[in-house]
Amino acid sequence: MPLVYDELRRIAAGYIRRERPGQTLQATALVNEAFVRLAAEQPRSFANRQHFVAIAALSMRQILVQRARARKAAKRGGAPNRVTLDEGLVSTEPRGVDVLALDEALTRLAALDSEQARIVELRYFGGLTVEETANVVGVSPATVKRQWAMARAWLKRAVDTAPDDGANARP
Amino acid sequence: MTREQWERLKVLFNGALDQPAERRHEWLTLHAQGDELLAREAGALLLAHDTAEGFLEEPAVVDPTDLAALDELGSGMRIGSYEIEREIGRGGMGVVYLARDLRLGRPVALKALSRLHDSNAALRERLRREARAAANISHPAVATVYALEEVDGRLFIASEYIDGHSLRSEIESGTLEWRRAIAIAIDIASALCAAHDAGVIHRDLKPENVLITRIGAVKVVDFGIAQIDSINTRLTREGDVIGTPAYMAPEQLIGGTIDVRVDIYAVGVILTEMLTGQHPLTPGRRSIHTSASEIARRCIQTDPNERYRSARELLAALEREPSNPTAVTDPVTPPLPEASRARWWWEFHQAAVSIVYAVMIWPTWLARHVIGGHTGNAVFVTVLAAAIVAVTLRLHLWFTSRSYPAELDWARGRSTGWMLVSDAIFASALVVAGVLVGDERPAIAVIEIAVAVGAATSFAVVEPATSRAAFRRTDRL
Repeated sequence: MPLVYDELRRIAAGYIRRERPGQTLQATALVNEAFVRLAAEQPRSFANRQHFVAIAALSMRQILVQRARARKAAKRGGAPNRVTLDEGLVSTEPRGVDVLALDEALTRLAALDSEQARIVELRYFGGLTVEETANVVGVSPATVKRQWAMARAWLKRAVDTAPDDGANARP
Repeated sequence: MTREQWERLKVLFNGALDQPAERRHEWLTLHAQGDELLAREAGALLLAHDTAEGFLEEPAVVDPTDLAALDELGSGMRIGSYEIEREIGRGGMGVVYLARDLRLGRPVALKALSRLHDSNAALRERLRREARAAANISHPAVATVYALEEVDGRLFIASEYIDGHSLRSEIESGTLEWRRAIAIAIDIASALCAAHDAGVIHRDLKPENVLITRIGAVKVVDFGIAQIDSINTRLTREGDVIGTPAYMAPEQLIGGTIDVRVDIYAVGVILTEMLTGQHPLTPGRRSIHTSASEIARRCIQTDPNERYRSARELLAALEREPSNPTAVTDPVTPPLPEASRARWWWEFHQAAVSIVYAVMIWPTWLARHVIGGHTGNAVFVTVLAAAIVAVTLRLHLWFTSRSYPAELDWARGRSTGWMLVSDAIFASALVVAGVLVGDERPAIAVIEIAVAVGAATSFAVVEPATSRAAFRRTDRL
């Protein structure tokens, strides 16, 4: 796990160095790049690609959740002491999905149906295609599609009906 | 929901999904075998499915900065003898945490390199230098560096945690009251005197780096790119530009030789922004004609030789800044709520004292007859004259405070000395009158002496206190 983290971090550093502020990386590209690099550097670290992408997807999920939490805390705290060394890289909220709500819903889904939760993690956080996901989970692509459809509907409902804790956590 | 129910829900959902949209409901009712709740759940899921267009369709995206931000330091974790509370700031290379020093039980700001740059030798050296530079400066308006620590290879600076907001947010909230702007500029200049004396040039002074604590004190932070000017081993390569362009002096922008006057330039920009809310180089900026803007103008001269030569010279100019409110075109921001309440008490105090003084003329008039002769006349005339001066000045201040608050400081500056003298004479004369009539008219004596003591207490204790509360912001320096 730390290995994957380090690799993801190194890739991010490369992107930052090339200075394209505001640019975002898609999970697919990131996980692929990380795998290619790790496979070249330490071929024995991961049994196979499936093993790696599963861990990478989980890492991505943790990273996004951790950052979303930090951002929320910073917003609440007002963050008066700023950073000094370099500036202009204050990250912005990624568009679209509320990562914290999704993460919470996904944890609840895992209790009901771990396979569905795993499929969502791989497809959304790992950026895997239906076929790749089927490969990793060890089921048919048709099953992945069916499970994905239901999980997505369930999560959509869970996320939409979840209370907006951003507003309620601290009145 | 039980596992069994979930499995049945799956069957219902998938089965209904295979049906044409208009037949789904019928299909569900038929296959739910009377389980109303499950049929409804499946129906809700189908509805969500139909409205989930685009939801999770694209894989997650991540900002590279977020990835680089993967620090293991989270809330509640310990590093050395510090316990992390939360992250309070982050830049491309550094991260600042609010933490608690467990040995001393005080909050600290921990500034570390982000994990990504943690092993970068040049940056580590820069952080060390920053700590040393800032540690050499001892000044109330400079955030104090407590320690430079290294724990498990992680290098960080522990410094004073400043609970407040940045000058930037104050500027953005509207034009600062101009006296306040000058008071802040004086604090910054004074902090720079200490820094420059210690051989440290800030080099990145800007409103974001000036923090205002909750009690209104100014703290200059981020000697982040500060460089000890006596040291020639440059960490940034010769000619490298570090800083924030909008606040950088021309010679700094082109990577030329710089000295303390780049900080003077930055103060000029900040002062202009405080006074007008706009950067001095903003096209069409509304001009202000005050002596303060004259100081700012001199700070931002392109040729460093035409600026103030030192922070001390700038400080002296700011302190001389004549309080000439008639030249100010800036709108005066209303005083803060707590200040206005204190102001009310101060006004009340002035009015009450005026009334008491005026009333005291009558018992003193009686005392004059009792004492008789020249002495009686002298005592009475003294009390009358002192009371007239003291009351007139107080009513003048009271009236100014209510009608022309912007000129109050100026009026106070001119009246305070006279008021003190007249108060002292008034109280002394009352004591004399009280002592002289003591035997014949004890009632008058008691009143005279009691009021004398009251007046003395008032001008020695009460008045300084109410004035302090009411004018803390402008009198701070």
